[in-house]
Amino acid sequence: MIAYVIRRLLATIPVMAIVGVFVFLLLHLAPGDPAAIIAGDNATEENIAAIRTRLGLDRPLIEQFGSWVWAIAHGDLGVSMFSNLPVTTLVLQRAQPTISLTVTTLLVAVTIAITIGVLAAWKAGTLVDRVVMGFAVLGFSVPVFVVGYLLVYVFALQLRWLPVQGYVPIEQGLWPWARNLILPSLALGLAYVALIARITRASMLEVLAEDYIRTAHAKGVATVPVLLRHALKNAAVPIVTVIGIGVALLISGVVITESVFNIPGVGRLVVDAIARRDYPIIQGVMILFAGVYVLVNLCVDIVYTFLDPRIRY
Amino acid sequence: MDTNRRTVLKAGAAAAAMGAPHVARAQTKPARQVRFVPHGDLRVLDPIWTTANMSAYHGAMIYDTLFGVDVNMRPQPQMVQTHTVSDNRLTHTFVLRDGLKWHDGTPVTARDCVASIRRWQAKDGAGQHLFERVTDTPVVDDRTFRIVLKEPYGLVLDALAKTSTPLCFMMKAEIAATDPGTQITKHIGSGPFRFVEGEYRPGSRVVYERNPDYVPRGEPASGIAGGKRVLLDRVVWDIIPDAQTAASALMSGEIEFFEVPPIDILPALGAAPGVKIEVFNQLGNVGYCRLNHLHPPFNNVLARRAAQLAISQEDFLRAAIGNAQYYKTCGSNFTCGSPMGVEDGAEVLMMGAPMAQRQARARQLLKEAGYNNEPIVVLHATDIHIMNQAALVIAQNLRQVGMNVQLAASDWGGVVTRRSNQNPPAQGGWNVFFTWGGGNATSSPINLFGHAATGRKAWFGWPENARHEQLRNEWAAAADVAARRKVAQAMNRNMLEYVHDVKLGQWVAPVAYRSDRIRGLLPVPEVVPFWNVERFA
Repeated sequence: MIAYVIRRLLATIPVMAIVGVFVFLLLHLAPGDPAAIIAGDNATEENIAAIRTRLGLDRPLIEQFGSWVWAIAHGDLGVSMFSNLPVTTLVLQRAQPTISLTVTTLLVAVTIAITIGVLAAWKAGTLVDRVVMGFAVLGFSVPVFVVGYLLVYVFALQLRWLPVQGYVPIEQGLWPWARNLILPSLALGLAYVALIARITRASMLEVLAEDYIRTAHAKGVATVPVLLRHALKNAAVPIVTVIGIGVALLISGVVITESVFNIPGVGRLVVDAIARRDYPIIQGVMILFAGVYVLVNLCVDIVYTFLDPRIRY
Repeated sequence: MDTNRRTVLKAGAAAAAMGAPHVARAQTKPARQVRFVPHGDLRVLDPIWTTANMSAYHGAMIYDTLFGVDVNMRPQPQMVQTHTVSDNRLTHTFVLRDGLKWHDGTPVTARDCVASIRRWQAKDGAGQHLFERVTDTPVVDDRTFRIVLKEPYGLVLDALAKTSTPLCFMMKAEIAATDPGTQITKHIGSGPFRFVEGEYRPGSRVVYERNPDYVPRGEPASGIAGGKRVLLDRVVWDIIPDAQTAASALMSGEIEFFEVPPIDILPALGAAPGVKIEVFNQLGNVGYCRLNHLHPPFNNVLARRAAQLAISQEDFLRAAIGNAQYYKTCGSNFTCGSPMGVEDGAEVLMMGAPMAQRQARARQLLKEAGYNNEPIVVLHATDIHIMNQAALVIAQNLRQVGMNVQLAASDWGGVVTRRSNQNPPAQGGWNVFFTWGGGNATSSPINLFGHAATGRKAWFGWPENARHEQLRNEWAAAADVAARRKVAQAMNRNMLEYVHDVKLGQWVAPVAYRSDRIRGLLPVPEVVPFWNVERFA
């Protein structure tokens, strides 16, 4: 297993390298000049040219790429062209809100989805099943920003229970932190609840039809232990796979949620950077996202071995 | 009554519950803080290095200016105590107010001011126009310096006092010594607020605190002139990119001031208790359709005149702004409602005539221009509502008179890049793009770089007209507003004749704020001041 983990970790290097080349080329070949954006609307052509030179954007592309790779290899993600702050600092400033939102969303989504997915499988064909599946279709169909605005309207503007927007660091108290994350987590989690609930139901239905489940019932094991201990554990591999995919999808989902709820996370950092062509930020964050994606997949593969002893690497 | 552990706990819980609101009230006693949502993000902290408006807002918080324009757009002394001009109008002498200090406690000197003026002029159109006539800027003593001219120039104070970017902010000499092409890294001003660098989160939050050493002038605040009385301890800029979220935050009381609420949200905001909608910047914004003078067909004045007639201000304003309460058409190149807002020569726009009549005339002009159905590339920024609407309306207007229009869609970043390309449209250039500028900046033929007609050295579109440049110089040399207005009349007529660009009307952007909590906001074009603002609840 350890050899496998090491192999997988080493395999991240070429993956990151390919991501790096693609991101760099896409950014630099796409239209857009950070110098013109920095200079502002009243700038002269000379001002823009001076800024371009200052930022090194007038150097050959291969030279710019080489400098960037050399810096990355030394752990330096570069400096924002606009704020002059190191990309690492900017990402660290934004990491906590994004991690908080991702973790709370996953907790909310997994807890609700597995519960209602198991319930729907157990009560397959009944009204409960139809309601759960109807909810799943709704969760898939309604965009995150619509759910977000609706939640804000009801819980923040009408009932005044929760804040409209913003993020409070966890150091300032658990409740203030959680209070600002309830609505975003619900809004973002809805689609994942739908996704995971459907997979849970389908996987559970398959397992519930197995002989060993019938045997467990025949032995007189109560329904709940049968569902959770016998059925859910054996249905867990596809569910974990979907949760893993969900984590990757969350990376894109947080971008919208962070905008709607004004959470200063990494998603907003990269969207703002794309709008103004702040290359070092975009490149740095994309490399980090790729790393996170690879690690999540590795974790999922490792979890398989705990859930199904037959899986060995 | 029996007293046991359970009843004691219940009583304690009840007392805590009763006490809680008092605690909460004590904590929410009006902090002298205002939370403000500006129109954009503060990305660059050097207000000279960039002409971005957000950097100018930042500059106005922490830096001071030698002069500032009052509410009537007249320059008034700010850091300067006395200003005298020699009899031959060639030497301007400035004496600084006593007791001016930088945020690090050191005194402001004349040397600092000269260094700041020199760095500013390298980046500013008005500054460059002034410095073409400057022979020397000697420092006389710690509080006195001079600007020596080679010919009389009427806009010395106007240039130093202007609110269009970049403003002439005063910085410490060692900071102002930074190359104008390089960003400054220290943010020490002498203005009414201090920048809290430790709390700066680009894209999220900017924090300022009161400068306790700031000594305001005695006069009442007016424009960015007069006494900058600081009545707040902290000003927090929350960067909220989503307008709906910012509006909800204002309605729920999470912020106090929302600078640019979209027009379609205004009815909901206006109906919310405690929220007031107000237009502070009456000169508002001016829409510009820039035509590329370098390449066919718009290198031909007849084709430009055809476009000028074909493009309808009313169509654009209805599509982009929507509510007629906030927009108006205008025949001036210098902002209707401003001192220079003359409309001489506007009859060529045929603004009162039916659109069909204007289009018929435009078709005729296009024919005379020899237009041969060559593609006309209109840059189309799809990610900004006004830009998107403008490109679509302009394209349709031009098609209606027989032009073969191609929309080149991209985000605004793409437009900003492509508009600087002087190549023919088929080689990455363009024919038409839309943008807008502040009405205040537009009102000055000198302050706005877009007013220059110096060919390839001019702003995007690169118009060239010797008479226009001669009139701009005459305008700058004119001694008073009346004389300048007379030159502006000739200039407007000439600009409409050679079609400098096509103006697309004016609109104002109301602000929304919690009138149940704050008061004293000042109406200043292109800057949002927080002095004079008071948090009372």
